[in-house]
Amino acid sequence: MDRTYVIVGASLAGAAAALTLREEGAEGRVVLIGAEPEPPYERPPLSKAYLRGETPFEKSLVRPAASYTEHGIETMFGRRVTRVNSTAKVVELENGDRVPFDSLLIATGGRNRRISIPGSDLDGIYSLRTVQDADRIRAEMIPGRRALVVGMGFIGSEVAASLRQQGLDVVAIDPSKTPLFRVLGKAVGQRIAALHDAHGVRTIFDDTVTAFEGTRRVDAVVTKNGIRVKCDFAVVGIGIEPAVDLLEGSGVRIENGVLVDEWCKTNVDGIYAAGDVANHFHPVFGRRMRVEHWQNAFKQGATAARNMLGRRVPYDEVHWFWSDQYDVNLQYAGYHTTAEQMVVRGSLDSDSFLACYINEGRIDAAVAFNRAKDLRRVMLLIKTRRVVKLEDLRDDSVDLRSLTAA
Amino acid sequence: MAVEFVTAVKVNAVQPGAVIAINVRGTPIAVANVVGTYYAFDDTCTHEQCSLAEGDLAGMTITCMCHGAEFDIQTGKVLAPPAPSPIKVYPIRVDGDSLQIEV
Repeated sequence: MDRTYVIVGASLAGAAAALTLREEGAEGRVVLIGAEPEPPYERPPLSKAYLRGETPFEKSLVRPAASYTEHGIETMFGRRVTRVNSTAKVVELENGDRVPFDSLLIATGGRNRRISIPGSDLDGIYSLRTVQDADRIRAEMIPGRRALVVGMGFIGSEVAASLRQQGLDVVAIDPSKTPLFRVLGKAVGQRIAALHDAHGVRTIFDDTVTAFEGTRRVDAVVTKNGIRVKCDFAVVGIGIEPAVDLLEGSGVRIENGVLVDEWCKTNVDGIYAAGDVANHFHPVFGRRMRVEHWQNAFKQGATAARNMLGRRVPYDEVHWFWSDQYDVNLQYAGYHTTAEQMVVRGSLDSDSFLACYINEGRIDAAVAFNRAKDLRRVMLLIKTRRVVKLEDLRDDSVDLRSLTAA
Repeated sequence: MAVEFVTAVKVNAVQPGAVIAINVRGTPIAVANVVGTYYAFDDTCTHEQCSLAEGDLAGMTITCMCHGAEFDIQTGKVLAPPAPSPIKVYPIRVDGDSLQIEV
């Protein structure tokens, strides 16, 4: 009998899975269900080119809307799954509809963490996850207006850059010492801070927003250190929480997202997870991680599909992502939380460098500031876990490919 | 303008393994030399308009350095996203010490 593959989350991960199922010859039903009304789209432009009004939404679609039907994929967009019944093997939708499954992929991603301080329910305070969020922010983006950015992670940093590029006044506040502090550390973070300073963002670090002020709309914020900043609107980017509430009572193990093994499988037979929501075991690093980036969504979605077809393909991609800010192309590969040592090719003060995060002589991760070629070359070193000669890595005259071949 | 072969660049400007960007009648075109055979294709990535000549060439695959999109330089086909659409490829021929590209 034909199997039914149900994918919850019409996201990049969900779309990649649905299309891969068909490309790899899945017979039976493939059902792609998503809470957002739009067909699956890519989120990176939402904080950059799309936010600045430079590219139309259609360019962000993972595939043209018609291609799902062409591939025999049943789509249910604008429909929210509220519960997974793993015993009866059905997913339940908001309106009470039930869709049975033999094999289920959870690709629900996350939802924005909310700030809960006095005034946080005032108008003019936004967060960014969906195209509709981006449209709301776009409507506020009038040159000369004063924008406040709360949180200088990737979303906050990119939004701050886009706002400046559109001629708004921008103040950015983050509790860390630098932008992207948690991911990139202090030294690289300071370089990113200098980039934003050079482009006229007023940055406030080591401080947190304690209240939004205003009568109906926000018109100022107050910080813990007693600074008061006036603004016309605010964008809050303080991270996401994995969207797992539909799994309550399903028996699927949840711990910082959906726990899956290197085959994207949960502890419950027939249920898989991929993308932002999946806290996956990574065989290269020998630990679990949850990654909220484009390449992970795309590749893990595809790998999950292959495993749903019984192919038993491990998900062992070296994580990689980019962040374009102003004229800088930033790319990161690998995974690290702490580093015994950082080795830099080029100079941190310059417009082009590669910083490698080293533990026990191996490159766990690297970040490239306008140096994508070098980054691509160290990705192989990251994957093979090879011990590298740090002096060669540091030496700009040494071709990184020779390290790979050693 | 009619489509015709246009003398574009000297043969020795494109060494084996190299990719260079040139401008042919207003179109940025990348020219690659893969072990003595020449290929011409759009230099502009269909994702965010980065120069593909700045990318990495491995076999017949060019990887855009900005965001990792991959194209087949013989057919223009997208081999890896985020590029949404293929690039154009152009007929190219050797004429004496020059390369001619049909645009």
